[in-house]
Amino acid sequence: MTTTIHENGNQLIAAFAGRLDTAAAVSTMEAVKPLLEAANKEIILDCSELEYISSSGLRIFLSIRKEAAAHSSKVIVRSINADIRQVFMMTGFISLFEIQ
Amino acid sequence: MEGLDLHCRMILEEYEEALPRLEELKENVLVSLREALDRAGLIVTTIEARIKTEESLAGKLALKGAKYATLSDITDIVGARVVTFYTDDVDRIASMVEKLFEIDWDNSVDKRRLHQLDSFGYNSLHYICRYPGSEYRFEIQLRTTLQHAWASINHDTGYKSGIEIPREYMRRMNRLAGMLEMADDEFSRIRTELTDYRRRVHTLVRNGRLDDVLLDGDTFRSYLQARPLDTLNKRIAAINQAEIQDAPLSPYLRVLKELQCNTLGDVSRLIKRYEEDAYLLARHQLGNTDLDIISSAIGLQNICIVCILSTGGGKIGLERLFDVLNGHNSQNTALAELTYQQASALPFMQNNK
Repeated sequence: MTTTIHENGNQLIAAFAGRLDTAAAVSTMEAVKPLLEAANKEIILDCSELEYISSSGLRIFLSIRKEAAAHSSKVIVRSINADIRQVFMMTGFISLFEIQ
Repeated sequence: MEGLDLHCRMILEEYEEALPRLEELKENVLVSLREALDRAGLIVTTIEARIKTEESLAGKLALKGAKYATLSDITDIVGARVVTFYTDDVDRIASMVEKLFEIDWDNSVDKRRLHQLDSFGYNSLHYICRYPGSEYRFEIQLRTTLQHAWASINHDTGYKSGIEIPREYMRRMNRLAGMLEMADDEFSRIRTELTDYRRRVHTLVRNGRLDDVLLDGDTFRSYLQARPLDTLNKRIAAINQAEIQDAPLSPYLRVLKELQCNTLGDVSRLIKRYEEDAYLLARHQLGNTDLDIISSAIGLQNICIVCILSTGGGKIGLERLFDVLNGHNSQNTALAELTYQQASALPFMQNNK
């Protein structure tokens, strides 16, 4: 599981690749720390290379969303695969995130 | 400053010496106003204060310096301004100001009460005040946003008094002042009526008269305060011992309207009718997973899914639901297909066949 973050103008883009499961959660949480402090940014969670997400992964997305709201930033989840979209639907997370 | 007599120059020197105290006065006034507004829960567009500049003071002294014996005779050396959204907030803040500061009533003007047919300008309230213990007085202007817009544009023309103004221009500015006053009154009326409406809705909801309440953003919020979906959400959470994350339900207002819910009574019946099947759908979906976090939208989401499928909406209806909740997306077709397949195994779908 890898997480890379880069900046593009007012956007902070976090690209996830691999399986975001319990084992990967600690290192991923550490990797997304710059997103938690970003103020007035558009935060893109690029999931085009993300294969799987567990509850631990959902909690990380949730932390990013909470901190973004506190810092007047906006979060967009981009390019999730069909399985992850199903997870978002089954858990009701589809209403929590703007998904593109 | 050139051209000023000795008396006026002495007042200017007094001004320079007094600047630190005037700065302190300005800050004290601002803090007092902000704290009082916070306590009252009043939201305004602007609170600001300034000390008259040396140039502006010199100009004033050049015109009528003889009128002032000392700097403390000038009542607007420090000025504060509060700009409100609503005209009735001006009155509330005025009474707040009367309690906060000593008011110099002889020099305070409520232009709103002049109401002369031929009076120029737009209504506003100017208080001359004294901060407890301060030797200097200061001015507070209270205006609505529309009054402020009118006054700012009028000031921008450069005319200091009504006498200087060309008649045609004055007539047109007065026309605008009248129109803005009517707009201010209408905004206040709308706020009052909305407050009454919300209170009535709250009472009807509390008394269970849901069929008497039309479904809209306000009434839906009021209905949700009673947390009518908690029981279902807790049952769903119990499937995997999941934690429930609060989620906004406002996107569902549009969905409920499309499902022909016109009153809160319709929403309540929809929940009661489909909640058991909504639970079974969640159990079918989540039972084989280890997902132990859900959002509080899951109950209503599943109720809508069951309602759509039970009433013949099929995959197209589901796709429409996901489009509304999540924006149009090509993957919503596949998601609708998958949800349809999952639901097909459930009793409510068997009954529909």
